[in-house]
Amino acid sequence: MLRWLLGRLARAAGAAWLTASLVFIGSRLLPGGPDQLALADASDLSRPVAGTRPAATQQAARLAVRNRLGLAQPIFYVTRTAGQWQWHGTANQYHRWAKAALHGDLGYSYRDGQPVATLLVHALRYTLPLAASAAGLAVGLALALGLYLARATGSVWQRLVANLLNCLQITPLFLLALGLLLLFANPEFLNLLPAAGQAPGAASHGQLAAYWLGRLALPLLSLVLAVLPELTLPLAAGLRQEATSGYATTARAKGLTTRQMLRHHALPNAVIPLLTTLTDLLPTLVAGTVIVEVLFALPGSGRLLAEAAAAHDYPLVVGGVLVTATARLLGLLLADVLYFLVDPRLRPTA
Amino acid sequence: MKYFWLGSLFALLASACSTPPVKQASSPIYTRWARDPETLDPLAVPNQSAIDAANLLHMALLLVDYQANAYAPALAQALPQVRTIGDSLTALGYELRAAATWDDGQPVLATDVDFTLKLLQCPGLPNENSRAQFGFIRQVLIDPANPRRFTLVCRGQGTEIMTGSGDFSILPEAALDPAHTLRRWPLAVLQDWPAARAPAPAVAALVQRYQRANLARQPGNMPGCGPYRLAAWETNQQLRFQRKAHWWADKLRPAPFVLQARPQELVFAVLPDDAAAALALRRHDLDVYPQVPARIFQQLQASPKAREELVFYTKSSYDILTAGFNTRRPALHDRRTRQALSQLFDPAGLLAATQLGQGNRTVGLLPPSSPFYNDSLPLPALAPILAARLLRQAGWQRRADGHWWQPGEAAPLALTVRYRAEEATFATTALQFQAAAARVGIAVALLPTENSVLTNALQTGDFDLYIRLVKGSPFGFNFATFLHSNAIGSGNITGFSNPVADRLLLAIPAEGNLPRKRLLLRRLQVVLREEMPLLPLFFLPYRLAASRQLRHVVASGIKPGYAITALSWPAADAQLAGTH
Repeated sequence: MLRWLLGRLARAAGAAWLTASLVFIGSRLLPGGPDQLALADASDLSRPVAGTRPAATQQAARLAVRNRLGLAQPIFYVTRTAGQWQWHGTANQYHRWAKAALHGDLGYSYRDGQPVATLLVHALRYTLPLAASAAGLAVGLALALGLYLARATGSVWQRLVANLLNCLQITPLFLLALGLLLLFANPEFLNLLPAAGQAPGAASHGQLAAYWLGRLALPLLSLVLAVLPELTLPLAAGLRQEATSGYATTARAKGLTTRQMLRHHALPNAVIPLLTTLTDLLPTLVAGTVIVEVLFALPGSGRLLAEAAAAHDYPLVVGGVLVTATARLLGLLLADVLYFLVDPRLRPTA
Repeated sequence: MKYFWLGSLFALLASACSTPPVKQASSPIYTRWARDPETLDPLAVPNQSAIDAANLLHMALLLVDYQANAYAPALAQALPQVRTIGDSLTALGYELRAAATWDDGQPVLATDVDFTLKLLQCPGLPNENSRAQFGFIRQVLIDPANPRRFTLVCRGQGTEIMTGSGDFSILPEAALDPAHTLRRWPLAVLQDWPAARAPAPAVAALVQRYQRANLARQPGNMPGCGPYRLAAWETNQQLRFQRKAHWWADKLRPAPFVLQARPQELVFAVLPDDAAAALALRRHDLDVYPQVPARIFQQLQASPKAREELVFYTKSSYDILTAGFNTRRPALHDRRTRQALSQLFDPAGLLAATQLGQGNRTVGLLPPSSPFYNDSLPLPALAPILAARLLRQAGWQRRADGHWWQPGEAAPLALTVRYRAEEATFATTALQFQAAAARVGIAVALLPTENSVLTNALQTGDFDLYIRLVKGSPFGFNFATFLHSNAIGSGNITGFSNPVADRLLLAIPAEGNLPRKRLLLRRLQVVLREEMPLLPLFFLPYRLAASRQLRHVVASGIKPGYAITALSWPAADAQLAGTH
């Protein structure tokens, strides 16, 4: 089992590296680039401009930007120009990045010159607690609601909950989050929760905690409601399916209530297909949720990476991809481990 | 526990019914920024937020006076003395204010200006835009008798030379280059340094020292001469600026408008979403909301509660919505075709649909309020019948299938329109054009495009029409950067080339005589209307919503659309009146 785990970890690390490398090379082959975006638009006359700025001046400025950002070097060890393969040795962008990354240095943002690792860590300080709380809360609620819906009593409340979950499932996250914002942070309606205010300057830990609790309530609610149907509805269906099987009938015949049977016997089997969905949440914890972060003005990793991609801030994009891909692959590994724990028949030693 | 929850609920409901808090003299003013400045490096200033921040931390020779919509002396004692040298050079005589000092008390001197201009040209620093913008300043001659007096020798002549010569943050030589390394290097040598050549070791060492100072994140690592210091910066969340207790301009009586810095604390909240920003304004989390989108502005004005708490301003800006034609495309090479297509835009309808009718229609690139505006030209208007007539004049024939064909061509007239995605005004304009074109038998494909891809597509000529903004200002009339044939391959993305227009484009900035300048500008507007490389549709308005408690709100049509340092709370005004 340990050897299998180490092997999977090594393969996951290799796959994450390969993904980041492909993004590294692919991003540099995209049209445009940071050199083009860094230069002022010629039709921007908001500040007085002298002269005509001929094409040669523009080319010189682009070359200066490329030199400054280290983009003037060849991208990879070999490149193909004019039908000929050229070998560049170690004097290439990929080698420089790979060497630094293996030493734990993910490079510096093109926009503000800050270390990529610092920027990611700072953004994750907001995203991780938010997304982890949302995932935890959603899982807890999904288990409770799944068990409730699977009891098949056909009550009005059950139908209401099921319909509500179906509605939530077809509602896009931006609409859901905007709706909550307009509902609960609107002086024209219910002005109950802050959406974008500032943390009190000289505040005690308690006051700060209270502020952040209020501030994160709506983003948290948005994320929980967005992911809840995805977890609850398949779980409820799985539980209902398991409730018709022979061992469930036996359990009931032995005197267990439906609730006890579902919780103690059907749930371990019904939860197996959900493990992949659950571990899929792991990369979300790292990559963040752009929509919620933009709408609620949270400086999380989703917003950071989206803005970096729009600005062609390659080091930040590649760093983000490396971390997200690692989280994704670890999520898959975690799913496998959980499968083995829940169902011993699936273990490699079985 | 029960009482705790009841208490919490009561507190929440009480806050929901709260009235605007009464502001103290030192209360911060909260302003909305749509984006983070990304860097506070005074050499880079990549966006409007960074420009606003630089104006608080640093000081330039000249600054925009938002009351007069003109440049006014800031560090400079007065506007420069302009003297032409021959037919291609201009000498600008400046003198720095005697009171101007750095935070460490040292005077701001002409050597600092010389150092800054050289730093703007050093390779390896994020100064590529500044290099191009201030490349016309070739030499700084310091008066040996007065260390505050100097002359800028500039290439070229014209009004842009004067106004453009003073709009950059002056940096302290003593802090960044105590060994005076750059004094040995003439400015022109640094300007002409080839991009492919490695910088001189002394310059490279200075560049490294500058980079180590990390001014992009820590502007306080260097003494400034602006009125504020950065107190806190939480990336993508907020920036907090505090007024310096002792700022050199406080001694000036009376203080010029550009040197007034009333707020004790300024907080810029980075709120990317417009709806969230509007709610923050309503919840009193914001005091100033500039560049309010039309619909949100309308909703705020419609709310009686919002009208009680807020004041609203609308100013016509210098940003023009334009449609440009790729004149290199064979189908669009004939100016009559371009004229015909321009008749399919409906500026009046678009202004009403996208800007609530605010803003100004125009005949050209100048606003109707300009003395150089050519009011003899008719305003562009939707005219499909005229469009069809012009197409026939251009040799297009309408066949039975309803489409327009050129004899011998294999395909009918069909166009692609590119514009930046997620811009409602651009999308509405493109849709209106598509609908009008369809009615006269022209197929139009719309290509909303991501910003960086759009920039590349426009640069490489991968479009038939584009819709975008031309950002103007009242300070100059140099349209050569995007219309002169010299700029094809850089700023001239329409590929427009016309000898008459070229002559006018070069003559206008150089012309100092106002009546002659007026004639040239009026002529240029006529030529552009006839040649139609681009169609200016209308000038956009700037909308500002601010707390009713704020005093001295100066709204402007120049970015950022308001004078932040002029604002104050009534308590601060009362305190000041008591002091005097």
